[in-house]
Amino acid sequence: MNRTNPEGLPSADLDNQPLPYWNPYVAGLLLGATLLASFLVLGAGLGASAGPARMGAFLEQCILPGHVAKSDYFGHWVEEGKSLLNYYLVFMFAGVFFGGLFSAILGRRIRPGVERGKAFGASSRLLLALCGGVLVGFASRLANGCTSGQALSGGAMLLNGSLAFMLSVFAGGYLAAWFVRRQWND
Amino acid sequence: MIDTYFGTERLDTPGAMFAALVIGMAFGFVLERAGFGSSRKLAGIFYFKDMTVLKVMFTAVITAMLGLSYALALGWISPDHVYALPTVYPAQIAGGLLFGVGFVMSGWCPGTGAVGVASGKLDAVVFLMGVVLGSIGFNEVFGAMRAVGLVPGTHDSAVLGEPAEPQSAFGMSRPLFALLFTFMAVGAFRLAEWAERRTGGGGKYLGSPFLRAMSLAMVVFAAALFLLPADSRSVASGATPVSGTSQSALLQSIEAAEDHIEPEELADRLVGGEADLVLVDVRTPAEYAAFRIRGAIHVPLPDLPAALAPYKNRGTIVLYSNGMTHPAQARDLLAQMGYRNAYLLTDGLTGFAERCLKPASLRGEPLSAEAAAKVKAWRAFFLADAPTAPRTAGFAQSPQPAASMPAQRIPGLIDAHWLADRLGDPTVRIIDLRAQPKYNKSHIPGAVCLNPESFRGVVGGISSMLLPADLLARHMSLMGIRPTDTIVLVYGNVPGETDLGNGVRDATLVGMGLERLGHVNWAILDGGFAAWTAEKLPVTNALPDVTASQYSPASQPDGFTVDAAYVKSRVDDHGAVIIDTRPADFYRGEKSDEARAGHIPGAVNRPFKEDLQTGEQLKSLADLQAAYQALVPSKDSQVIVHCRTGHQASQTFFVLDRLLGYKNVKWYDASWSQWAARPDLPVTR
Repeated sequence: MNRTNPEGLPSADLDNQPLPYWNPYVAGLLLGATLLASFLVLGAGLGASAGPARMGAFLEQCILPGHVAKSDYFGHWVEEGKSLLNYYLVFMFAGVFFGGLFSAILGRRIRPGVERGKAFGASSRLLLALCGGVLVGFASRLANGCTSGQALSGGAMLLNGSLAFMLSVFAGGYLAAWFVRRQWND
Repeated sequence: MIDTYFGTERLDTPGAMFAALVIGMAFGFVLERAGFGSSRKLAGIFYFKDMTVLKVMFTAVITAMLGLSYALALGWISPDHVYALPTVYPAQIAGGLLFGVGFVMSGWCPGTGAVGVASGKLDAVVFLMGVVLGSIGFNEVFGAMRAVGLVPGTHDSAVLGEPAEPQSAFGMSRPLFALLFTFMAVGAFRLAEWAERRTGGGGKYLGSPFLRAMSLAMVVFAAALFLLPADSRSVASGATPVSGTSQSALLQSIEAAEDHIEPEELADRLVGGEADLVLVDVRTPAEYAAFRIRGAIHVPLPDLPAALAPYKNRGTIVLYSNGMTHPAQARDLLAQMGYRNAYLLTDGLTGFAERCLKPASLRGEPLSAEAAAKVKAWRAFFLADAPTAPRTAGFAQSPQPAASMPAQRIPGLIDAHWLADRLGDPTVRIIDLRAQPKYNKSHIPGAVCLNPESFRGVVGGISSMLLPADLLARHMSLMGIRPTDTIVLVYGNVPGETDLGNGVRDATLVGMGLERLGHVNWAILDGGFAAWTAEKLPVTNALPDVTASQYSPASQPDGFTVDAAYVKSRVDDHGAVIIDTRPADFYRGEKSDEARAGHIPGAVNRPFKEDLQTGEQLKSLADLQAAYQALVPSKDSQVIVHCRTGHQASQTFFVLDRLLGYKNVKWYDASWSQWAARPDLPVTR
């Protein structure tokens, strides 16, 4: 737990303190190397949004068997005798979770809770996270990728559409930032 | 040259899943180390307080962009081995705007969300639930959006119908765009540090030696891209605009005759069995059928780029025609597309015949004993299995017989090289039985697509029956197949996995149709489409030109299909071995999809899957022989095969009749679906 004394300073137990983050540029170089490895080994860039999307298709198939195969978008993912989760990006998404978990444990950064500004309610923050998630899930399918597949991977291949996506993400983010600023107010 | 999982169509194999898992772990580890397990840190970029997202992302993009550019320019990897996302501006811009709004609201994106969950953040859990819901929502409204034109373009041809192409670098040359992009990123790093300092958020790398050194290194590496060969810079798009430098390099290489190969050298390399040598005949199919250099494949000029893509900058490609003009054009086209391994046969087939195949005795000037021996060896090699002797004057004395039809039936299973040797032969027709989207993505040049189910239908009230000969003949006419053609059936499969499609039994079912038509010359490509791609043989997405034929149906009923009454009589007189090819639990009656469970009295069970090995391929002949020897010792015994609808049993029929030489095999097409529904017929469990 993130124990702090009344002055807001870290407690004396230094062993329990999170390690500092990496230099962002070093992290960027290593992330670039990971992306390059993905290009050279898989022949495709990184991807994250396909993982939850496949899980959505899988859940929908569990709840409404037969519906997914007939549906307009997920229907193209259905292959007889093959699970919807049997897809390389689902495995990559699982890898991201375990890689993150490994690093968070080593970095002593596992801090259960709802991250928000002190002046903002937890339930309001969760509502924003949920709504943001729905938008992100929808937009990732529309654009055929997210910050990983389009912005990072497509950007590194200098693909016009991916670069347009990257600019649009920043445009959309900066336009909406003012309206949701209070969630980070302390 | 690196073979990627994507480039070799193995992205759905366990190996690719494992690689994706490992790469994902590295990805997640780095994201967490950068601080992306915190939504506050991620959202910081939108308030200019914490620009970590920008720094990490642009450093990564520039690093990977430069790395990939070098890998392509140095020929380590071919552009078509890397998947490029198609460009569909409306979808990508609208999606990007929505994504940005969702990103700043939640403080997460899908990848960082997974890291957030790993860090114990409840808001990340809720966010990912939202992503799942949003994806489901997209699926539900997608049809409606498309109907009202809200999704004008297409990003995924499989999903949205019309295919879109990837576009890159906004029409600039790749190094120029890469350099500008690098300058922009380096500038953005400085601005980000400056902004952080202004908002009191940090900016500790502003003016630091580390950031300066990294920025300089990025610019130097980007600028050095200008020094690399121009022709392989483009990513995953077909023809690229030819720049001045590569044009002149092309002219130089032609002047230096670097693009030629002499007939004698070619002959020696072919005799030597060089594996990486692809010999391409670009003449007309009829000329190819009449005579070709042994081992040559036939590819019409317009199909060259698609057909030769697997060999780009890998091994040696040699093009030939009768003379030099046609292949020279083709070779130039290939060179402009970045092929550095395409050569012309000097003086074409005419030169090859004159210099390598003309008997020593007919030559104007005497040959040395050594040269004469060589010519003899070449003649023995190149004229051994020629379909016909070339009809040129010099060959009039050739000992080869004139064109002759194969007297014997071709083997039931042929391998990829057998087919490759006959590619372009107009009398060898390929029927691809895989699903249409897979066929349209890539198929063996000249193959036509056929859904095996179109050979079946309701006949006499029984479903899934092989259609009568006149209807089958209609299908053959529409595919432009003539009764004298040799047919090769290609089924779908994925190496390393079993039972993903219908595999071998799709081919054998269509084979039953051919047998009913009395079409003798047909075979199955052993190992299916995967066997073809595993040998890196040419594929294309071009549809073949097909002219409908007049295929007249056989007038006799086929001699192998039997009905329930016939089977019942054999049950009564024990006159045949009845093989039930369904899975064992259906045979035993523990499972049933039909009116009654169990099996025909006296029938033995040999599930069709027992005849298959990994990768939807039939087991070896020796294994099959041993297995059936135990069931049916005499090849003269009558055997009746059946399953539920006749599909699986067609595979067993093929094994017994075609591969093992059983002389009296019958096929109960109506099978268990009829037998179980007729209460007058006996059933045991």
